[in-house]
Amino acid sequence: MKLPLALVALIVLAALFVPPFLPWSYDQIDWNAVRAPAFTGSHLLGTDSVGRDLLARTLVGTRLTLSVAFAAALVALVIGVAWGAIAGWVGGKIDEFMMRVVDALYALPFMFIVILLMVVFGRSILLVFLGIGAVEWLTMARVVRGQVLQLKNRPFILAAEAAGSSSSATLRRHILPNVAGVALAYLMLTVPQVVMVESFLSFLGLGVQEPMTSLGILVKEGADDMDVIPLALIVPGGILVTILVCLTLAGEKLRDRWAA
Amino acid sequence: MSLYTVENLGIDIDGVNLVRGVSFSIAAGECLALVGESGSGKTLSCLTPFGLSAGTASGSAKLDGVDLCALTERDIRPVRAAKAGFVFQQPLTALTPHLTIGAQLSEAAGQAGGASPSRAELVEMLRRVDLPRPDELLSQFPHRLSGGQRQRVMIAAAIAHRPALLIADEPTTALDASLRHEIMDLLDDLRRETGMGMLLVSHDLGSVRGHADQVVVLKDGAMVESGPTATLLAKPKAEYTKALIAAAPRLDAPLLSRPKPQGRLLDAQGISVSFPRAGWRSGRIIAVDDVSLHIDAGEAVALVGESGSGKSTLARAIARLGPCDAGSVHWQGDAWPARAKMTTAHRRLIQPVFQDPVASLDPRWRVRDIIAEPLKMLAPEKDEASSVAAAIEAVELDPEMAERFPRQLSGGQAQRVAIARALVADPEMLLLDEATSALDVLVAAQIVELLQRLQRERGRSILAITHDLALARMLCHRILVLDAGKIVEAGEAVALIASPAHSVTQRLVEASRR
Repeated sequence: MKLPLALVALIVLAALFVPPFLPWSYDQIDWNAVRAPAFTGSHLLGTDSVGRDLLARTLVGTRLTLSVAFAAALVALVIGVAWGAIAGWVGGKIDEFMMRVVDALYALPFMFIVILLMVVFGRSILLVFLGIGAVEWLTMARVVRGQVLQLKNRPFILAAEAAGSSSSATLRRHILPNVAGVALAYLMLTVPQVVMVESFLSFLGLGVQEPMTSLGILVKEGADDMDVIPLALIVPGGILVTILVCLTLAGEKLRDRWAA
Repeated sequence: MSLYTVENLGIDIDGVNLVRGVSFSIAAGECLALVGESGSGKTLSCLTPFGLSAGTASGSAKLDGVDLCALTERDIRPVRAAKAGFVFQQPLTALTPHLTIGAQLSEAAGQAGGASPSRAELVEMLRRVDLPRPDELLSQFPHRLSGGQRQRVMIAAAIAHRPALLIADEPTTALDASLRHEIMDLLDDLRRETGMGMLLVSHDLGSVRGHADQVVVLKDGAMVESGPTATLLAKPKAEYTKALIAAAPRLDAPLLSRPKPQGRLLDAQGISVSFPRAGWRSGRIIAVDDVSLHIDAGEAVALVGESGSGKSTLARAIARLGPCDAGSVHWQGDAWPARAKMTTAHRRLIQPVFQDPVASLDPRWRVRDIIAEPLKMLAPEKDEASSVAAAIEAVELDPEMAERFPRQLSGGQAQRVAIARALVADPEMLLLDEATSALDVLVAAQIVELLQRLQRERGRSILAITHDLALARMLCHRILVLDAGKIVEAGEAVALIASPAHSVTQRLVEASRR
């Protein structure tokens, strides 16, 4: 678990702090080096089809993808934990209603709706963010509700009631801390899912606007030019795969540890 | 000629030595009991030579002349399948829920190498373990059977291929007191009938009396004492064996003096509780049916009954810790409100201790905070640090335990923490819900002693739920016997045990006597 997290941390730090120190910014065109291979002049990893520095673009794209992913995962965490915990703890009719809402949202063809929204309202990063956030909390809510249902019947919850703890205080002091571990583990698993969705939307051309870029856009452009400049596909693709694999591994480890 | 001979058995797991120097020998038709508290290595000693548990065995374990310790895991399997049968502790989880009894029995019989048995043979297998209406049972699923019936099915499966040796790992611990003897008697009969040897594992020395021919007492992975059961029980040599024998609650144990009850404390009238039926079926199951009871100040009352008799449900309804459909509870004349309306002033009067000590402590809290929890809400006027320290001292816990988490405690320590939590706000009454039945015999005896001392020193009332009449007699003035949600017999503890009138009471007395 240490190695995957260290790799992700390295990528995040590089994406955050390296771009200002590079000789080229992500949207600057070098007319003297279009489709340049690696180590051409000051372009460490070469340039893309219009002469922009590949390293700068990859780092900025990584930053955008990861910030969308973490923000959406955080939204999923907040809504999902609150929704699931309340449904599980209160139980009865309210639980039924809240979980039917989750089922209904699950049933919607999510990609199709995001694409429709994009077509109607135009491309916007906010829309991507909203669309992803609206879907990713559903699984979290189910997981948390299941945990709460299990905890609810444990004798220590009854002991808390006997100790004069009110229902909301028991939820806050006993249930939520015991759910936190599992919720965090699923947060770690949500991030790579969101990275995938964002990259996929961008790959389809529905993500952010040029010249801003994301890992998905870079992979798409790289795929177009892979016969001339293979690095344009290999670099962003490699980073995407590394992030996905590392976060999934770390998340699964964390989940297993808390489940035990 | 001995059937199964174990010599100088040692077991290591991950380089840690857990069992050493265990030797015993079982002849055909004989029963040997391995007895010890949890962690003494008794289950390991039984299962590891057969490759059914982690760890590597050294020494020798000869079954019919074949040394199991010298075989590889692959080679053990056919020997195990042909010659040994196993019965485990948890009958409720040992059967697959999605297969019928018939399918599981026929699988068990088929795996031993024989052809699939015919229906008539399956019926015969169930008849051998005294199950009623075996024909119908074959097509039923496990959830329709009671715990005792399931354990009988497990035994039928274990002896289907007529093993030479039956290994029974705490076969009755998860069952009701009155069922335990039925199952043990059944195993005895089968042993006599078929001439198989039996290796019995138990934590309770008293329970093997009359069943085992020989006893081996284990402690911390080493043999303490061994010998014929009657001799060993009558003249134990080792201190540890003496302690084990003394620890089991007995119906003829001397009674300690108890404070005299005075003045009505709690009066519950017409308590009824019912639950909706599971699944799609309509209607409700009546768990407690119009029960009235009262408890005086300083009095200890035992609610006794078999599992499913509604004793826990009744006690929780009274303490307002569970659902209650009808009835009233008066505390010194004041009516108590419904569960959701209970104030901290009400809650302060009665505090519970539950059966499973580890599950009743929040795993993410430290012992200090767990004990302090009732104090914060129920008695904020008290000084927290000194009250917690006093409660820890009252239950004879090491003060260093205060910084620990529940997972770092043993079962007995965790139950002491639970009792300290119940005592810290100085309640008028304790509700003990099977507070000792999940503990080892020795630990349970210590907890009972602790409760008796607290009863003497503080003079608080106790409502104790138990299925063990010997325990009820030691702790309580009065016993109420519950069956199917009604009180069927009530009376002064010693008198009631001396002349039980109702059949349920008679069964329970019989179970505690042996």
